[in-house]
Amino acid sequence: MFVGAASIAGTWLSYGAGMNNDLALLENGPVIAADQLEATLGWTLKPEGLCRDDTCVIVSDRAAIERDGGIDATAVADLLDRPWALDEASNTVAVGAPRAARRGALNDLQAPDFVLPDLDGTAYALSDHRSKKRLLVAFSSW
Amino acid sequence: MAVDENVEGIRAFMDGITYPVLVDTEHVLTELYAISNVPTVLMIDEDDRIAHPNWSAFASDTFKEFTGVDSAKQVDVVRQWVLTGALPLTPDEAKSAVGDNTPEEESARLHFRIANHLRRQGDDDGASRNFDKAAELAPHDWTIRRAMLPLRGGDPFGDEFFALSAEFDAAGRPFHGIAAERN
Repeated sequence: MFVGAASIAGTWLSYGAGMNNDLALLENGPVIAADQLEATLGWTLKPEGLCRDDTCVIVSDRAAIERDGGIDATAVADLLDRPWALDEASNTVAVGAPRAARRGALNDLQAPDFVLPDLDGTAYALSDHRSKKRLLVAFSSW
Repeated sequence: MAVDENVEGIRAFMDGITYPVLVDTEHVLTELYAISNVPTVLMIDEDDRIAHPNWSAFASDTFKEFTGVDSAKQVDVVRQWVLTGALPLTPDEAKSAVGDNTPEEESARLHFRIANHLRRQGDDDGASRNFDKAAELAPHDWTIRRAMLPLRGGDPFGDEFFALSAEFDAAGRPFHGIAAERN
């Protein structure tokens, strides 16, 4: 019996609403429609660049992220400093969390926030328990 | 936080536990915190600062025969921190204690997720191809190598585990964090 992404259709590699943790999985290759950018990578393409919340990343060469009538998510991932991997045979792309931000946080001993479910699917964020000491124990049955 | 998706296996650890037990099937934590084996323990303070980074620590002596680690000393370190804020290392030592994921290890985590996704879709060849790629990229990362064994029908406590363990020893037991003190 398994839990997790098995039951979740679509392109987020997600544990459910609000639990994407900046991960993405594209099942049909790297080219996506521009209006799918937000649903997949969490960013929107606007005249000022790639934007999320109050932050925009300038796209100096828009043609470089366009491909086959859509947007190349791996080119966008590069602009956002997010690692990606492509399995060509199945045309599956996985995109990770922003690299420098993650490194910078760890080097500065700032705990990266995350949201994960318990076995009943209830979401818990590290930041829900701010102002308390927290002991994180990564374990497994393997 | 179970870096796992075996529900019964996770429940086996939950007897009598009253705090949240979370499930991380996609290995979010191993990416964000550069965790390469379990158990890995972190202490995070009231201001979201990592007070004690990745530490190979045990709450009981269940695996003492294999690990050679005295859990009582480790539990005491946690207790002292909770009660007084005292830590066994300086912030500078904490900052330099965890080597970040290499680009290969980052890529291994991504291929692991692709493998798991394809496995759930019933694409066994695709899963196998990406598990192999992940293993090649991060040969000494237990959250890749050992975690994939049960997902591929292997036994994480069988011959493959002992072969991995020998490989790991031969490589100098690389670990992202502070290894447990062995007796």
